[in-house]
Formats: sequence, C-alpha cells, structure tokens
Amino acid sequence: MTGTLETLAQGQQGTNVDVFGASLSRRGFVAAGGALLASFVLVRSSSAQEETPSMRGIPTSKLSSDSFIEIHADNTILIRTGKSDTGQSTVFTAYPQIVADELYVRFEAITTVISGDTDRTPDGGGTFDLLGHGMPNIRKAAAYVYQAMLDVASKQLNVPKDQLSVKDGIVSGGGKSISYGDLVKGQQLNLTIPVMGDIHSMFGLMVTGNPPLKPVSQYTVVGKSFPNSSVVSKVSAKETWVTDVRLPGMLHGRVIHPKTLGSKLVSAGTLDKSRFPNAQVVVKGNLVGIVAPTEWEAIKASQQVASDTKWSDWRGLPTDARLFDYLKEDADWKSVPAATSKESKGDVAAALASSPKKLKTIYQRPYLKHAPIGPTMAVGDVRPDGSIHVHGHTQNPQALRTEIALMLGVSPDKVTVHTYAGAGHYGRSNGGNAGAEDEAVILSQAVGKPVRVQWMRNDDLQWSTQSSCAFAEVELAIGPDGKLTGFQIDHYMPAMQDDRPIGAILAGLPTMPAPNEKGSLFGMRNQPSDPWLYGATPAVLERAHGGPQIGQASSPINVGLRDHSLRTPVQYQQNFPRELAITEAAYLAGADPLQFRIDHATEKRAIAVLESARDSSGWKTRSGFANGSGPTKQGRGVSLMMRGGAYWACVAQVTVDTNTGAIKVDKLTMVVDPGIVINPLQLKRQIEGGAVMGVSMTLREELRFNDSTITSSDWISYPIATMADLPEIKVILHHHPEVGSYRQGSEAASALAAPAIAGAFFDATGKIARRLPLKPAYVKTLLEA
Amino acid sequence: MPTVLVNGVNREIKAPSDTPLLYVLRNDLELTGPQFGCGLAQCGACSVLLNGKEVRSCITPLSAVAGKEVTTLEGLPARWAKQKKLTGPEAAHVLHPVQQAWIDEQTPQCGFCQNGMMIKATELLESTPSPTIEQIKEAFTKSGPSPHLCRCGTYTAIIESVQRAADIMARSIL
Repeated sequence: MTGTLETLAQGQQGTNVDVFGASLSRRGFVAAGGALLASFVLVRSSSAQEETPSMRGIPTSKLSSDSFIEIHADNTILIRTGKSDTGQSTVFTAYPQIVADELYVRFEAITTVISGDTDRTPDGGGTFDLLGHGMPNIRKAAAYVYQAMLDVASKQLNVPKDQLSVKDGIVSGGGKSISYGDLVKGQQLNLTIPVMGDIHSMFGLMVTGNPPLKPVSQYTVVGKSFPNSSVVSKVSAKETWVTDVRLPGMLHGRVIHPKTLGSKLVSAGTLDKSRFPNAQVVVKGNLVGIVAPTEWEAIKASQQVASDTKWSDWRGLPTDARLFDYLKEDADWKSVPAATSKESKGDVAAALASSPKKLKTIYQRPYLKHAPIGPTMAVGDVRPDGSIHVHGHTQNPQALRTEIALMLGVSPDKVTVHTYAGAGHYGRSNGGNAGAEDEAVILSQAVGKPVRVQWMRNDDLQWSTQSSCAFAEVELAIGPDGKLTGFQIDHYMPAMQDDRPIGAILAGLPTMPAPNEKGSLFGMRNQPSDPWLYGATPAVLERAHGGPQIGQASSPINVGLRDHSLRTPVQYQQNFPRELAITEAAYLAGADPLQFRIDHATEKRAIAVLESARDSSGWKTRSGFANGSGPTKQGRGVSLMMRGGAYWACVAQVTVDTNTGAIKVDKLTMVVDPGIVINPLQLKRQIEGGAVMGVSMTLREELRFNDSTITSSDWISYPIATMADLPEIKVILHHHPEVGSYRQGSEAASALAAPAIAGAFFDATGKIARRLPLKPAYVKTLLEA
Repeated sequence: MPTVLVNGVNREIKAPSDTPLLYVLRNDLELTGPQFGCGLAQCGACSVLLNGKEVRSCITPLSAVAGKEVTTLEGLPARWAKQKKLTGPEAAHVLHPVQQAWIDEQTPQCGFCQNGMMIKATELLESTPSPTIEQIKEAFTKSGPSPHLCRCGTYTAIIESVQRAADIMARSIL
C-alpha cells in the first residue's frame, strides 16, 4: 500500500511512501542509534533464468535481506555489493566515490564496504563490468536513498523537497538544516528498492527504475584519486587473506589430480601409515585427496600416495606443436552456427575481386593461463546440521553457491560462501567461479571436519581452466586510393565458458553441463566481440565460429582442455588479429599505420585516442618500414580498441636483437577514454599493470601440452614477465564528463599490447609475426626466412 | 626442539625439522605475511629476511634457521624502529618506510606477491640506500633464486615505491 508522508511522519508502521518506485517505510522507533536501510524487493523474475546454462534445475534460494546502503545515526554510511574485490579496488574506491556523490557526502563518510559474502550482500553477480556500463547497482541504489532522505528531511524540516539541498550530508533549506544522522536518529527507516533478475546468474540482480541521478557536472568525489582502503591492511600484514582462514578442527588437504586430462583412477596409492600416522586418504570416483592435521604432513603424504597411485592412459590432445594445424584441419566448427557482426556490410567478395592489392592470411593465439601468483585454495566446512560453509576467493560467490548446492544435491539456502582477499586470477580459472572450493567441500563431507585444500603450483597450471586459443582468417583489399575496400575476418575459438568445478567432475558428482550445442548465452557458440571501428571501409564481413573444447569429448572423464574467461575474454582473441591485419593493410597501402587508422575511423572518440597516442608517444608519421641498419633494429606499432564503451589506443616502441631474436619493449603509451574518469591514480595503476600483463602475454606466455596432459607446471614452463621486461609505460587518461557516464577503464589494458608490439616488430624488421607469443626462437625463424 | 628468533622474539617450534619455514610461520606462529606461491623458490611470494638476507621460506627447512634471526613482513616496523632507535608510542605506530611507500604509491593490485616485494626492497635499501632503476631491476630479477613475480604487473609501481622508500629513509636520518 502506498501512504503519504503525513502517515510516515506520524509513525504508522506498515505504511509506505513512494520514492520514484522505491518504497519508504518506518519499521519502528529505537532507543539508541537509528538508521535508514535500503534493501530490495524483486519486482519480477527474469527470463534470464531459462537462458543461463548454469542455472538449469537449481531452485532459487531465499534472498538475503541485507541492505545495499545504510545511513546510520552517527552519520556513517555502509555499502554492500555482491561483487568481490579481485585486487583492482573498484569496490573500495570507485563504489564509495559513486555513492558519496549521489548522496552528497564526503568519500570518508562511507566507512564500511561489505562485498562478496552470500549471506551478507544483496545483489550477487560476477566480478566483471564493475562499473555496469555507467550504471552499477550501487549508483541507482544511492540515488533512491538520496531521494528518500530528501523526503524524510522535507517532512522533518517542513520545507518543500524541491527547496532542499545537501552538502556533506547536511540537508538545508528554508533557513533550516539537519544532518543525515539526525534524520534517522531514533528510528528504523526502510527503503525498499525494486530489483529484477536472478541472484545466482552471472549477472545477479539488477536495480530497476529511474530515480533522478546527480548531474555529472556536480560531481565532487568522482574524479579524485582516493586511496584503496585495503592497501593499508595488505601492506601491514593485517589483511585476512583466504590463505589465512583457520577453523577449529580444520585439516589440511591436498588433491592428487589424474595423470592425464582423460585418465580414470585404476587404484589409489596406499598411505604409509608408519610415516604419516595422522594422514587419511579420501577417494571419491576419480578424485583422490589426502587430509592431515598439519600442512607438511598433508604435502608429504600426498607425494607418497601419488607415487603409488595408478591411472589409465589417454592420448586425446593434439599437442601444442600441432595446435594450429589441428584447429584449422581437424577441429569441429560446424556444430554450432557462425555469428555475423552487426557491423558487417557491403559486398566484400566483390571488393576483394576488384582490388589489386590484397592480403589473405591467418593469425594465431595460443592457450594462456590465468596464472595467479597464489594457486587456488579454499576451506570447505560441511557441518553436522547440514549447512555448508565455503571460504574462498571467488569471482562470483552466488554462482559458486549454486554450483556447490548442485554438486551435493541440496538447496542453495544450505550453502554460504565467504569471500576474502586472494591472488588475482583476472577471470574465472576453475569451474567458472570456483577455486578448490568444490574439492574442499567434498573432502570436508568425507571426513566430517573443515578441510583446507591448497593447490600446489603444478595443480594450478595443469588443472585450472585455460584462456581459449584462437585463430582468425583475414582477407582484405586496398583500393587505388590506398584505402581499405573490403575487410573480411573469420574468428575461430573453442568454447570458453566451462562452469563445471573440476573436483565435482572428478568425483562424478552433478555439475552444470559442459559447453555444448545448446545454450543461447554461451554454449559452444562464439560471438563477434571486437566492435569494428573503421567505419569508412565500404565492405566488411566479420564472423565468429565456435566449437567444442579440445579433447573433452574423447576424454573418458569429460575433461580435456577446459576453458574459461581471462581478462578481456573473446575480444583479446579477436582484436589481436584484427589490429595486426589493419597494420599489415597500412604497409600494403604504403601508409603510416596510425594515420591509416585515423583515415578509416569514423568515431570521434576513436580518432581522438589515436591522435593522443601519436602526440604523446612522439610518433612521427611516415610511410614504409623503419629501415634501421645493423643487428639491432627499432620499430613502432599501434593498436586500437573499443571495449565496454571505453576507447583505447596503444603505441609500442620496441628494439629487436636480430642476432638472438629477442624483442625488448622499450615503451608503451596507453591512452584510454572511459568517459568519466572516477579515480585517476587507481586507474593509472590498473592500466600500468594491464600493460605489463599484455607484454607478458605477447612475449612469454603459451600453454604447453603434449598428447595427454598439460606440461606447463611451474614458472619455468609457464614463464610470465618479470621486472626485467618492464618497458617505460606512459598512461594518458582522457576525462570526458560530457559523455555522461563512466565505462570500463581498466580491463582491456591487457589486450592492447600484442597487436602494437607485433606491429612494431613488423615496422622494425619488415617481417610479420602472426602467431603469439613472440619468443626469440620463433622470431629468429621469421628473421631467417 | 629448535628455537628461532622471529621478529625479535625467541620462539620454540614443535614442527619436524624438515618442515619448510613458510608453514611454520603461517601455521604455527600465525605470521601470515609470507604467502605460498609456488613451493619451488620461483616467485618470491614467501620471502622473509634471514639474518638480513632475503630467502624463500617455502624451500628453507626449519633446521636451516635454528639460532638465526628471521624477519617477516610483520616484523618490518620493529626492525625499522630498532634501526632508528625509536621507542615508546613512536615505535609502536611507525610503519617501515617500505610499507609506508607502498601505501603512498598505492602499489598493490591484488597484493598477493607484495610481501616478497617489500622484503626484497628492505634488503636492497639496507645495503643500497639510494638505488638506481637498474639496481632495483637487478635486485628484483637477478639477486635471488628467481625473479620476484607479479601477475598484476605492478612493477612500475614497485620501482616508484622503492624510490619513495629511499627518500623517506634518507629524510629520517635527520
């Protein structure tokens, strides 16, 4: 029922005031304290439930009644979000900044941020697209709360709402003023905000409606470099990391993973009780685990048992050496339909037929690893009362909750996921949202005690998911005027979103289905994901072809090379070939590759970042190769991307040692226009880090595997960039408040380097490297060809 | 039962003598600054100072540290206070300049590797108070059993933080 402010002021419980579709009510008076709590009501169920493969057959659990935002009588403010912090600090910096601006309070007024835990946060959702295309839940929730506070203040001060203004949490108007804290003192006010969606899906619940938003021109908190509150605790050893979780009676666990990605257990090794009197072996299906009271005993016992454990053989992988031949010749790209981009236009075939200068070629990107510095770990606690507690560092706690529930055949209500700081995975590196959580739960259930499962380095590299490999076939043509007349690209990538936790698979317990032909959201399908930015090209055809994960179908345990998203997923795989092909097209046309891009781009913001990259990197426009003499050659390259509404350009300057084949990246200039820059310092740090990851992936990283298993098992066989690889990194942030919203300013930093560096190598040497990574041996082969 | 001097306090350890120091610190002494990264001395997440020298606690058996002085991330403030002869509340509240610089520069992303980075920075600055960028790169890539690895790519921030820490330390001589 909808009441009036009169009834609210009179304290009638159960009457509601409409606040732009939210509902404000007083739940009662309290002797001490007082607060306004902004929680939610689900306005309608989402059709997304049917579309999300991970949700099949799982009942929706009771929703947490915890609030998004609380304003307390002492003028402190608390916010909650279902998203986790995976190290980039958005929930500790950008989120409080956004809320502070909408509420017209100082940043420091937001004293508490609760994130991730399924029993303490309201909205769920995976930790990606944290800024919600400019409209994260927390922004709208704050806008509702602001309106509600004005309503309460209007009544209390007896001043019309439109005559009130707020500064630093003090509401003023009609010569009177009162603080937010005093407005809520002695009462419990509830604001119920409308939401829709499915809390367990990858997107979580979404705040709906259209409360008035603060005009961007009035932002005072967004745009400033506030510090990340979690840095102090991490640097001073006060943080509780997931690795620090210790429960009473907890045992240390290790898992002995199969010999190959298709091996079944023949016989588990016998534990040498004389050496390991307190250890215990747990076998469930093909999952072999060891638990012991101390970590060292668990490690040593697992090594002893592993050496005595027998597995069946399997050889179902093409080997890394044959990977791209396999993808081209043997892989199945026919089972699901190709998807054509909406930017495709014109008659590419005709353009290719009629233009004299043409290029037809293939670009290849290997499998990569998430490779967190800390291998995945979790504590599982299956309690006698049937409740299940999982302590982990997870990208989507609510989705993990359903995975655990599905695995054990219980309602998600029984499962609570607690999240902690952990090593950055930059995506979903096992079972979609899980680390070792499923294995910890299985072992805990078996032994009746909490179990802490820590993967060792080799477990992490060999048994987590991969970032999908990909290749692209490109055909392009240049007209007599030196412009692109046609551009055709066909992207091929095995399925990426494998949400199955590996422990559940090995134990033979229920999981979501592996990526398959069905599933409208992902399944085996591939999607064009790299928005075309060269609108002046008359004919364009972009297609994306998907297929099954390699080795999965022939693996007796249905495993094979499982894939899941890693920073800039799918678009990394598609932007590298697109951008390197554009660079090749520029040289084919006798043009400068940066100017060539400007000449073909039609969006102002794309052109602006290119011009900025040119001017800030010292790029001198010229046609043709660098043509340096001597054994050490220098070159420069450029790349362009639009992701999530943010525009990026990158210039790489490299030195090639033609004697050794070593490429040194001397400088990367990274330009981003995300619209509104929320926190310049944090964004700069995120981009610097992303640029280094990009260098790492371009020069060092490649999953190694033989015909049966992954052979990358440590930091020697899966090298990543070190400080010795660090280029000078120049970050240019374009702050454009007139865009009206903030977009993803961080993630794509990892993807810009590869095409820019490969382009710079081409410029330096005249040799084109179309396959990543650009390791010295490969580079030498190209130079000697 | 071996005794180890950890962060200025003699601790008796019950764990078997072949136990890597990392597990003793984290599980027996509840000093959780050092992290498990690889168990192979290939990443540096587990670093501690042993008699002032950076070692990888994941491969250092307890037997190798008996009678020696171990400093963990938790012990850096006291180490600095002792070096500067700070006492009382001043000593209780100060952070090591390396830690302060890491905060000032907002260095960590996920932060998991930063324990080892700060331990390596402390070792470097105790011997080289004003290192060049090349000396910093050398220290973080060549001076130990392996380079110190950061997946988040915070190497730029680390270099800036080491230089800032050097400034703080130089100013505090006054």
